[in-house]
Amino acid sequence: MHRLVWKIFLSFWLSLIIFAGASLTLASLFVEHARSEDDEQSPRDRLKLYLEEARRIAASEGTGGLTAWLEQLDRREVTPILLIDAQGRDLLGRPVSAHLAERIERPPPIHARHRRIPPRGLVQTPGGAEYRLVPDFRAVTLQRVLTRPRVVAIPFIAAAIISGLVSFFLARYLSRPIRRLSRATRQFGAGDLGLRVASTLGGRRDEVAELAHDFDHMAERLQALIAAQRQLLSDVSHELRSPLARLQVALGLARQRENNQPLPELDRIEREAERLNELIAQLLSLARLESGVGLSRAEELDLAALVSEVAESTDFEISGSGRNVRIVTCTPAQVEANPTLLHSALENVVRNAAKYTADGTVVEISLTPDDQRKGWILLQVRDHGPGVPEHMLARLFDPFVRVGDARDRASGGYGLGLAIAQRAIQLHGGEIAARNHPQGGLSVSIRLPTGQARETG
Amino acid sequence: MNRILLADDDIELCDMLREYLQAEGFQVEAVHDGDAALQRARTNDHDLLVLDVMMPARNGFDVLRDLRRSSQMPVLMLTARDEDIDSIVGLELGADDYVTKPCNPRVLVARIRATLRRAQMTAEDGSEPASPEVLTLDDLQMHTGSRSVVLEGQAVAMTSTEYSVLEVLLREAGHVVSKADLSERALGRKLTRYDRSLDMHLSSLRRKLGPLPNGAERIKTVRGVGYQYTSP
Repeated sequence: MHRLVWKIFLSFWLSLIIFAGASLTLASLFVEHARSEDDEQSPRDRLKLYLEEARRIAASEGTGGLTAWLEQLDRREVTPILLIDAQGRDLLGRPVSAHLAERIERPPPIHARHRRIPPRGLVQTPGGAEYRLVPDFRAVTLQRVLTRPRVVAIPFIAAAIISGLVSFFLARYLSRPIRRLSRATRQFGAGDLGLRVASTLGGRRDEVAELAHDFDHMAERLQALIAAQRQLLSDVSHELRSPLARLQVALGLARQRENNQPLPELDRIEREAERLNELIAQLLSLARLESGVGLSRAEELDLAALVSEVAESTDFEISGSGRNVRIVTCTPAQVEANPTLLHSALENVVRNAAKYTADGTVVEISLTPDDQRKGWILLQVRDHGPGVPEHMLARLFDPFVRVGDARDRASGGYGLGLAIAQRAIQLHGGEIAARNHPQGGLSVSIRLPTGQARETG
Repeated sequence: MNRILLADDDIELCDMLREYLQAEGFQVEAVHDGDAALQRARTNDHDLLVLDVMMPARNGFDVLRDLRRSSQMPVLMLTARDEDIDSIVGLELGADDYVTKPCNPRVLVARIRATLRRAQMTAEDGSEPASPEVLTLDDLQMHTGSRSVVLEGQAVAMTSTEYSVLEVLLREAGHVVSKADLSERALGRKLTRYDRSLDMHLSSLRRKLGPLPNGAERIKTVRGVGYQYTSP
C-alpha cells in the first residue's frame, strides 16, 4: 500500500467522502440551528415582529420597500413568509398554495367580527394597497433549505477548505521529493559525486523512493568509476616517474662521459625529459585537485603582487618573440589562498594567453573589483590570438581539449594548464570562464572572493 | 673522500646514481629498504644519508624519525615533486634539505655538497676562518667551535642546517634577516619561489628552543620581510 497510485487514489477518494459528509453535517446543523432559533423565540413572536417591521416599512417606503424587505427576509428565513394582496397573489410572485388561499378567504371568527378587529396580518401602504402577511409552514422542505443562499455557501466553503488542504498536502508530498531529486541531479552533475538522496526521504517506500534509490545506485557506480579512472591516472603517472628518474641519471652519466661537452642530442633529450616531467607533474596535480581534497595551507595573499609576478615572469619567458604581457589595471586585493596552487592557476592562464596571442601583440591583464558581486575581485587575461569557436568555449577547461585549428594541433592543444587552473580556482571558491572578445582574441575571467567578501558573508 | 649512504628501493637507479656520484668524487653505499637504511646509518660510517621517502616496509619518514633519536647525521630527502607536503614533513622530522625526484643529478650533487659543507664545519675544526667563540644571549649559549647549542645548561640536539640557521639569526640578533639572505647564508643556496625549507627549519628551531625566559617569542616572523631573533 505504499504505491503512489494508491496514495493519489485514496486522497481524492477520501477528500470527496469527507466533503460529502461535511456538507451534510453542516446543512443539518443549519436546520437544527433554525429550529433552535424557533424554540427560543416562538414562531408567533417572530411573526409579530415581522408584521411590525412590514407595517413600518409599508408606511414609510410603500410597496417598493416592502418587496425589497421581503426578498431579504426570504433569503434567511427557512419558513416562507408570504405577502398576499387583495387578488390573492404573493408580492414576490411565489405560488400561493390552496390551503393558504382558503385561510385568507375564510371570514374572521365571529367574536372578532363583533369587535371590528382588522383581519390578522394586515399590512397597509399609504397608497391604499392591502396585503396580508402569512407564513407558509407547509412549504418548509429540504429543497427549500438547500437552496437558501446561506446554505448553498456551506458546501462551497467546505469544498474549498477540504479540497484545498488535501490538494496542498498531496502536491507538496509529490513535488517535494521530486524537487529534491532534481536538485540532487543538478548538484551531482556539477561535480558533487558524494551526493546521495534516498536517506533524506525518510521512510518513504513508493515510486519516488525507488527513483531515489536508483539515483543513489547510479551515483555510487559513477563515483566508483570516476575514482577508478583518477586512481589509474595517478598510478600511471607515479609509475612513469621511476623510468624518468632513471633516464635523468643516465643522461647525467652520458654528460659525465663526454666531460660535460655540450652535445645537441643530449640537450634535446634533457629538454624532452623535462617536458615529460612537467606533464607528469601536471597530471598528478590535476588528479589531486580532482580527488576532492580541500584547500590546504591557505594564507592571506597579496593577489596584485602575485599577478605582477606571474606577468613579469611570463613576459620574460616570451621575450624576444615580439609578444608581451602587460598589466593594464591593477587593484590591490587580499585573498585567502594556497600560494603554490593559485600561482600555478594564474601562470597557466597567462602562459596560455601568451602562447596564442599573435606576434607583435600584447597579452592584457586587468585586476579590478567585480561589478557583479560586492567584495569579489575580477582578473581578466585577454590575448590577441585567433580566439576559440563559440561551441568549444565551455570545453576549454577539459584536459587535453583541442579546439580544432591547425595551429592548435601543431602546438598540442591546450594541454592540462587550463584544466588545472579551473580546478584550482574552484577550490578557492572562485569561478573561471572564457569568452571571445568582441574585438578578437580570447578573454579569460577569474573571479575570486576577497577578504572583504568573507567578512560580509 | 665523503661517504654517502644512498637509500632508495629502485636498484637500477641506485646503480646509476652510485656511478654518477663516484665520478663526482663520493664514496657511495646503496641500500634498498628502510630497515637496512636505518641499520647502516646508525654505524656512523657515512657523512650523509640520501633518503628516498617512498620505500617498502619502513618508509623514509620512519627511518628519519628513528634516526633522529640518536643521530644528527646530515640527511637529504628525495621527495616526489608534486607532493610538496612530503618535503615539509621531511624537514619537520629533521631532514637537512630535500631534492624532488625525478631530479637532475647535477642538482642532487650540488645539494649534497652544500649540506656536507655545513655539516663539516662541525666535524673539521679550524675549517672556519674565525677562531671558535661562544655566542651568549639570554639563556642560550652557542659554541661555534663544536657547533653545539646549550639552553639553560642543557645541550640541545639539532641538525647542522638548524644550527646554521640559528647561528645567522643569533649573529644578527635584534635585526631582521630577510628570507633570501638567510637562505644564502644558512642553506648556501638562492631562495626559490615558495620554498618552505626555511619556514620548516625555523618551526623546528622554535619547537626545540621554546620562548624566551620572559615568555616573549624567541624568533619572530616579520611578515613579508624575514625573521628576527629577539634581543633583550
